[in-house]
Order: sequence, then structure tokens, then C-alpha cells
Amino acid sequence: MVRAALAQKRYIDQGPVPGAQYWPAFSVMLASLLVVLPIVSMNGWFPNFGFLMLLAWRLLRSDAFPTWWAAPLGLFNDLALGSPIGLSVAVWTAAILALDIADRRTQWRGYWLEWILAGVLLLGQEAAEWRVAQIMGASVPFLTILSPLLISILAFPVAAWIVARIDRWRLGR
Amino acid sequence: MATARPGWSRKAQYGLFFSFLAAIAGLLMGLVLLAVSFVSPKSYAAVRGAALDATAPVTGGLRQVTDTVAGLFSGAGNYWDAAHQNAQLRRERTLMIQRIIEARAISQENRELKAALQLRERSRATVASGRVVGSSFSSPRRFAIFSAGTSDGVRIGMPVRSPSGLIGRVMDAGSLASRVLLVSDRASIVPARILRSGQPVISQGRGDGTVDLRPLEVGRNPFHRGDIVITSGTGGLYPPLVPIARVIRLDDDGAIARPLADPSSASFAVVEQPYEPAAITDQAAPSPGGE
Repeated sequence: MVRAALAQKRYIDQGPVPGAQYWPAFSVMLASLLVVLPIVSMNGWFPNFGFLMLLAWRLLRSDAFPTWWAAPLGLFNDLALGSPIGLSVAVWTAAILALDIADRRTQWRGYWLEWILAGVLLLGQEAAEWRVAQIMGASVPFLTILSPLLISILAFPVAAWIVARIDRWRLGR
Repeated sequence: MATARPGWSRKAQYGLFFSFLAAIAGLLMGLVLLAVSFVSPKSYAAVRGAALDATAPVTGGLRQVTDTVAGLFSGAGNYWDAAHQNAQLRRERTLMIQRIIEARAISQENRELKAALQLRERSRATVASGRVVGSSFSSPRRFAIFSAGTSDGVRIGMPVRSPSGLIGRVMDAGSLASRVLLVSDRASIVPARILRSGQPVISQGRGDGTVDLRPLEVGRNPFHRGDIVITSGTGGLYPPLVPIARVIRLDDDGAIARPLADPSSASFAVVEQPYEPAAITDQAAPSPGGE
């Protein structure tokens, strides 16, 4: 942001795009809809794109969307992915609430801390998904979540970069 | 709003507080929905089917585009190597014709023997054919999206197979598309036997694209590398004699095998009636993932 302010570009007559306040939620839904890509994978190692976008938005700014919007966004994600209905509703809302608490507790923020927070929440999400699969009769060993977790954590900076770009675009910076 | 109090505005303070309460309510609602998913998964069948109908046609269209592009490349490759391929195919064709004649003789003999034994012949009714267009690529479960739904006659619980082998069974059905529990899902258990020896085994998915094979009888490990495992028809859901997997590795009391039908490359697949029609009512009653 600071570099953007120092650049030569003039910002007169530029403002937020129409519906700027809905773009964060909309982009999370778009990320959930990436599941329609015709990828037939034999091991579910792709990251949960919707959750990555949600975390990236929430870590970038706390007013991207009201806290409770995580629940309907999670329901949309459940329906799109075909996961047990309620899984993303609960996990996403819990993650946003956890970040609300983290906002109050942390004295300073930086790239590394945000990445660690995202990693911890991604671990929580993968573990919840694993536990739900176990209850539904598909008990795979816990260590199988390691590879998708690692891929998700490595994909987080990409999601954060995309979110930062969308944020600058929607605010007309 | 990063701080606890958004300034002195009462409106902003209440807004933040109610948003927090709504989030707590959302969390509780999510847990309740999840509990209902565990207890009675069938209660969401309609909404899950509708969601499938909304997304699967897009997947199907995109799949066609990727297939066309991939076809251009492999097609060009085939032209490059045409003469050599032609000769090889001719050789294989003459061999195949001999095999087919042998197989016809055997099946005729088989019919006569069955008639002599007065065995009832069950017809293999194909319900619908379609293609595997997508999959669950971000979860530990192994589902595929199949491009035929209830409007084609597909019902929850029906087995799905491709020419090369068993794919799985239907677990959610929309009117245009359905979701298939793949053989390689952990919750997918298929009664099977070894083609070479006929010994009964159980095939259970491992969630990573392979299946776990266990013999029903305790004893020494009956598997060899390269063994083919076929369905036994026990339980009445899957038709017998459908190839499932080929053994790639042995472990102490069983083996790990790779399914013969690769959903990512299977060009089309068919949904069949359950082998015993009574099996589908048994199968539909418990949870779609559970036993």
C-alpha cells in the first residue's frame, strides 16, 4: 500500500467500483466454485480454495465482511463441494471468530505471523474434515492430511496476493 | 474494527456486537446441520441433488473443452506414428479374433451347462450411460461427478462401471448429474475374489487412489503381484465378474491394488441396476458413507 501511494499514478476521479463491499464475499464464493473445474484427482490434495480466500480476506482486513457472513459462505461451500452439510459452516465461522480473538490478543502483525495463523487454521480445517470423514465411515490415517495441509499452507501466500490485488482494484487504488 | 471498540458510536458498537452474536448463532447452526448430516444423511438428498444440478453441467462443458484440446495433441501424435501403429494393430487384431472365437465357444458351453443345471440367468439392465466429469479434489473422501441423474433413471445406491472395471456406486443424485462414491474411497467396501484362484477377498478403498485387499479366510497371503481382483456378486449390490483392481504391492496379510478403471481417463461409464434389486433398499437405508 505504501509503495502504491508513492507511485506516480494520479488518483483523481477514481473511487471504489460499484458493489465494492460485496466483492470479498463474492470472491470467496468464486473460489468455492473452482470445484467445477473438470479435475479428476485420485488423491484429494488440492487446497480448499474457498477457505484459503476467506482466511486471506480476513487476515488482510477485519471489515472485509461481517463476521456472521462466514456461515452462509460456508453453506455455499458445502453445497458446491458436496462435503457433509454443516462442516464448512461450523469450521469457517469458528475460524473467523478465532481470528477476531487473535486480533485482540496480538500486539503486532506481520507476514510471518499471518502465515502462521493461517497455517494453524488450515490445520484445524483439515483435522475437522478428517474427523468428519472418520465419523462418516471413512477413517484414513491422520498422517494422510499432511500433504494436503502442506500444499494449502504453501498456497496461502498466493491467495493473499490475489486478495490484495482484488482489494486494491475494488477500492480503486 | 481491529480494536475492541469501534470508537464512540453506539450504532457501530451495537453493529459489531450483533454481528458477533450472529456469528455464534451461525457456528451453532453449523454444528446442528453437521449433526443432522451424521444422523440422517438422507434429509439433505434434495438440496444436495439441486446443488449438483447447478454445478455439474459447467463441469461437463469444461471437460469437453479439455478433452478436445487433449485430443488434438494425442491425435497429432497418432498421425506421426501411423505406419508403425497400423502394423501393430493388425497383429493384435488377428490375435483378438482368435481369442474371440475361443471365448464364444466357451460362453456357448457355459450356456449349455447353465441350462443343464437350470441356473437362473439374470439380465444386466443398463440404466444410463454418462461420463465422469469431475471429482472431489480437496477432501479425504473420493467422489466423482457423473453426468447422468434421476431424469435418466439413476437412483442412489446403483453401481457404476466402465468398460475397464468397476468405478463405484451412486451416493447423491440430482436430476442432471450424480455423485459417485469411488471404489478407492475409504467407506467403499466391495466383496470380491481373486480371478486366478477364486478365493473370496474384501476390497476397501484407501482414499489415495488405491484399494486395500484382505482375504476373508485367515491363512497365508493369497495374493501375487499382478493378480486381478473381480467382484463376487456377494451382497447383491455389485454385479459379479466386474474387474476391480490389479495388485501392485503385498503387505503382511493382504495387498494393495490399483483400480483398473481410472475415473480420470474413463471415456464413458454406465449405471446398472443393482444385481439383486432388493439390495438397493438395504443400501439406501444406512448412511451413504457408512456401513
